[in-house]
Amino acid sequence: MNASAAHDDTFEAEALPQMDAVYRFALRLSKSEDRAQDLTQETFLRAYQNWEKYTQGTKVKSWLFTICRNLFLRTEERGKRHDEIVTGVADTDPRQISREATVFMAVRDRDPEGHFWREMVDARVLEAIDDLPDEFREAVILSDLEGLPYQEVAEIVDVPVGTVKSRLFRGRRILQEALYEYAVEEGIIGEPTAARIRNRGEASK
Amino acid sequence: MKWIHELRRLLRRSNRKISKEALAEAVTCEEAAERIFEWLDNELDPELEAKVGAHLETCARCYPFLVFEEAFQEAIAKVEQHETTPGELRDKIMQSLETEGFGSRSSSSD
Repeated sequence: MNASAAHDDTFEAEALPQMDAVYRFALRLSKSEDRAQDLTQETFLRAYQNWEKYTQGTKVKSWLFTICRNLFLRTEERGKRHDEIVTGVADTDPRQISREATVFMAVRDRDPEGHFWREMVDARVLEAIDDLPDEFREAVILSDLEGLPYQEVAEIVDVPVGTVKSRLFRGRRILQEALYEYAVEEGIIGEPTAARIRNRGEASK
Repeated sequence: MKWIHELRRLLRRSNRKISKEALAEAVTCEEAAERIFEWLDNELDPELEAKVGAHLETCARCYPFLVFEEAFQEAIAKVEQHETTPGELRDKIMQSLETEGFGSRSSSSD
């Protein structure tokens, strides 16, 4: 087998099976089917042209996601905004965020074990993820939907692992709040009532 | 000599208990809450993982919080993305790759 044939064979065996994953990642990033299609096509073209730079047997999905995300940032002209976010409010110290477990505080008298999370339909959770601010959405998609470890997320997003942690922390908190609101609206979990609040007050006396 | 074995067994159990309690007290409730996602994601180093885990699982105040966050994490982790690459797009991608030379040098033609 010559080098060119090996090049194509390994690309076919390793990169092409990731097409659905790249398409879904592009969809979640861009929130547009047309943009996702363009991004996916361009990602595979770039990947093929640069296949010799990829180390076979390593994390091909992360490598493809990196290409896809870079294309997205470039084409969306989000670079400046992204840089502002990196050094701005997005990277709040997790210690400041951890006290904001507002959903747990809100439901602990009704559903302290969080059974209502299990009642969420997948489509609604994905919608809520799509609605997250960009930098938090990336972290949640890569960690929670794709199951990538923090280090790989950090490499794709090109930020320190500590930044991934804080974005993930904040992103999950925002997601919890959005899903809780939805759960209340849909009657999956009841609203806190005056009686409950009164009972809780009396019980604590 | 059976009593010696029994004594050793009790000592081992006692040491384990002390050890777990000591671990649990090595972090505060606030520190454990800060690390809860990292702990659930298995992203802590082994020493901190043991301390945070011991605290979350034995602290009466933190344990309900752990159960709640775990339920959330499990619900999100099971979400399936059903979107697949449209057939038309797949064809377009393969065509653009072929234009770049993909498949024109298959291993069978060596």
